Amino acid sequence: MNDLTPARAVAADAGTPAAKIRLLCAEKTFQVRGQDIEALHPTDLDIRPHEFMALVGPSGCGKSTILNMMAGLMRPTAGEVLYDGQPVTGPNRRVGYMTQKDTLLPWRTTKDNIRIALELKSHATPRAEAEDRVRQMIELVGLKGFENHTPAELSGGMRKRAAMARTLIYEPETLLMDEPFGALDSQLKLLMLDQLQCLTQHRRMSVVFVTHDLGEAITLSDRIVVLSARPGRIRAIHDVKLERPRDVFKVRFTPAFSEQHERLWDELKDDIIKGTDV
Amino acid sequence: MAPPATQSAVVGTGATRLPGAVGSGSGPQSSLERFFATSAGRVGARLLLIALILLAWEYAPVARATRFWMSSPSAILGTLWDWLFDGTIWAHLESTLLVMSEGYVVGCVAGVGIGFLLGFFSRLSRVLAPLLAGFYALPKIALAPLFVILLGVDNSSKIALVAVTVFFLVLTSTIDGVREVDRNTVNALALMGATRTEIIRKVLIWAALPWIFTGMRLAVRYAFTTTLLAELIAANRGLGFLIELNSGNFNTTGAYAAIVVVIICSVLLTELLSRLESRMSHWVS
Amino acid sequence: MTEGQRTRPADAARRGRDNILIWQAALVVGLLAIWEICGRLTGADQVSSPSRIIRTIMVWLGGELYPHLFTTLGELACGMAIGCSLGILAGLVLGRMPIVSLILRPIIVGLYSVPLVTLAPLFIMFFGLDLLPKIVLVSMVTFFLLFFNTFTGAQQVDEDYLRTLDLMGASKFEQFRKVVAPATAVWIAGGIRIALPYALVATITGELLATRSGLGFLISRAAERFDMTSLYAVLLILMTIGLLLSEAALRLEHRFLRWRQVAE
Repeated sequence: MNDLTPARAVAADAGTPAAKIRLLCAEKTFQVRGQDIEALHPTDLDIRPHEFMALVGPSGCGKSTILNMMAGLMRPTAGEVLYDGQPVTGPNRRVGYMTQKDTLLPWRTTKDNIRIALELKSHATPRAEAEDRVRQMIELVGLKGFENHTPAELSGGMRKRAAMARTLIYEPETLLMDEPFGALDSQLKLLMLDQLQCLTQHRRMSVVFVTHDLGEAITLSDRIVVLSARPGRIRAIHDVKLERPRDVFKVRFTPAFSEQHERLWDELKDDIIKGTDV
Repeated sequence: MAPPATQSAVVGTGATRLPGAVGSGSGPQSSLERFFATSAGRVGARLLLIALILLAWEYAPVARATRFWMSSPSAILGTLWDWLFDGTIWAHLESTLLVMSEGYVVGCVAGVGIGFLLGFFSRLSRVLAPLLAGFYALPKIALAPLFVILLGVDNSSKIALVAVTVFFLVLTSTIDGVREVDRNTVNALALMGATRTEIIRKVLIWAALPWIFTGMRLAVRYAFTTTLLAELIAANRGLGFLIELNSGNFNTTGAYAAIVVVIICSVLLTELLSRLESRMSHWVS
Repeated sequence: MTEGQRTRPADAARRGRDNILIWQAALVVGLLAIWEICGRLTGADQVSSPSRIIRTIMVWLGGELYPHLFTTLGELACGMAIGCSLGILAGLVLGRMPIVSLILRPIIVGLYSVPLVTLAPLFIMFFGLDLLPKIVLVSMVTFFLLFFNTFTGAQQVDEDYLRTLDLMGASKFEQFRKVVAPATAVWIAGGIRIALPYALVATITGELLATRSGLGFLISRAAERFDMTSLYAVLLILMTIGLLLSEAALRLEHRFLRWRQVAE
């Protein structure tokens, strides 16, 4: 990290949790056939450094819009998005973004897809070391034996895992993930949650993570942001008071977990019921 | 830096699931870009571009020798004007179109007929396949001198060349069409007790039609090109001959004028074909 | 399904193929025999005969053929190399400029349909009788085919791939090399497959019109002398070249298409 600005260094020294990413009154409106549709109500939100934050809410509540704005792929209609105190104006190269669509390159094999970031000048890695890290990553996400398959030959879940490996391998300081475990069966999902937690805790990454699955959110996050249906707005922010490190496989059977789950569900159920019959 | 295509990121990442969110939102940024995004702006830009090229061609300050080689739009237009009224264009155009259409019809009829034959008797077509592939791969224009020797310099040698070119295109698409017919339909009819001729009459011919039309449409352009090439090599009439004659006499303006006629013809032909195709696709479906 | 059941249809297919091969051989031998007999009976020059053609080719293979073969293939190779590289370059650059491509598209489509081979006499007038006019003609024809294919391919590159690489910190050049180029490769290979026969036609046309060497020259010389045996011999050689080229182009395209075939 040779690009630490003095301001950040001071903040880190002082131990104050300055915001890694900050939404300031950010709002997003889309024009659909001349009509304005508000996707995200003006929103303030801070993501602290090294924090794991989940965004939950009914479909169409602007979760992905928030991620897109943090990644700099979308500009807020009004308001601002700050990253390390700097406004985000173009593609934000400090984040790793795992979108809902996996965007694996169809002409590359699994292992070549996972390696791609290491081939770039900005993450230049010697060949042997790159091979090594790719092999580790493939083992980590359980794609051993599929190294030389093309994306078209992989199942939906495998593609998700390959996309995750591709994002994790260059260890971005911030991770944005849009429903990364949607297509996985529940056994595999637990394994992947475990791996993700290990990695992000170990590397002290900041993570923003969109999901439909409340259990997933509670298992992994420090804080959970509950959003309401369109136009998206923050309904509540829950602190998850579960000890770290958490045992992904057992934490869901603790009373604290159930209590958290119940509170979240109460918060969400009206919106979800409203959302489904629209 | 933010690309105008940001909206597709919205759709691509399944962000909002708003219907038709593509092409909305921020869109192009500068006013110039916004102008070109309208269809009037695009047409205007095209006309402007063409006008600029013509103006540069006409008024570029070049040496006399260079001017001779590049001619000028006004001189070309003048030649075209003369040709239009002294009947030059019409005589050559008539010859070209005649050769083209006669060769086309002969090639199509033979191609469809033999194509069906080979399509039905798949064994026969498999035996003949390497032979057909060989003739398919031969650049047909190389046959021009042969046809001239066998049939003389007049139209029949050119018609033969066009017919051969068209024949192989239509033949392959017809064979493909008959082969691709849905086997299930054929089997179902056979189970109903349909005879072989009934199956051919009721199903195969109709199912192969779209394929045949595709081949025939493609063949029109080849027929045009082949006619022109044949006229370049041995002829005393036709647009190709007009190009060859003027080039041979170092009449650059005349050669360009003939090429302009060819360009107009091929653009009209393309337009005609696409109209016909949309009409056809209505009818086929 | 047991092993035995699985092998039986394959066996039948192989036997069918063998049968076809026998028939094909019989057909070729039969046709050649009939041609030979007709040739000997009539003794006419127009008919010639397979044995005479083979003899001519053998004589040519002794040395006379090579300069002509190299002329034709050289013109083809040079023209293709120039036309392809310029066409690919222009297609990639213009294809990645959305506004320019919107404006140019109809003009390009219009030009695409023009039979550019008919410019041959013009180039001969400009560049004389030797290799140059044919090379220019071939590069012109292939340029447009390659340009059009590459242009279309470059426009259809998935923006999401580019965005993914952008966020990883890829420079514009890296995005181009890692995404645009491989995504367009299939289109380029397809363009080359389409362009090869056109290029061969352009070369032969140029040589038929005016030249001092090349296969087209052999054809016109044979035709002037009413030497049908030589004429048929050149046609046979050209047919072989055409087959080899189309086979090579097909293989090239398949190489690039492998991932796409699996996708479908």
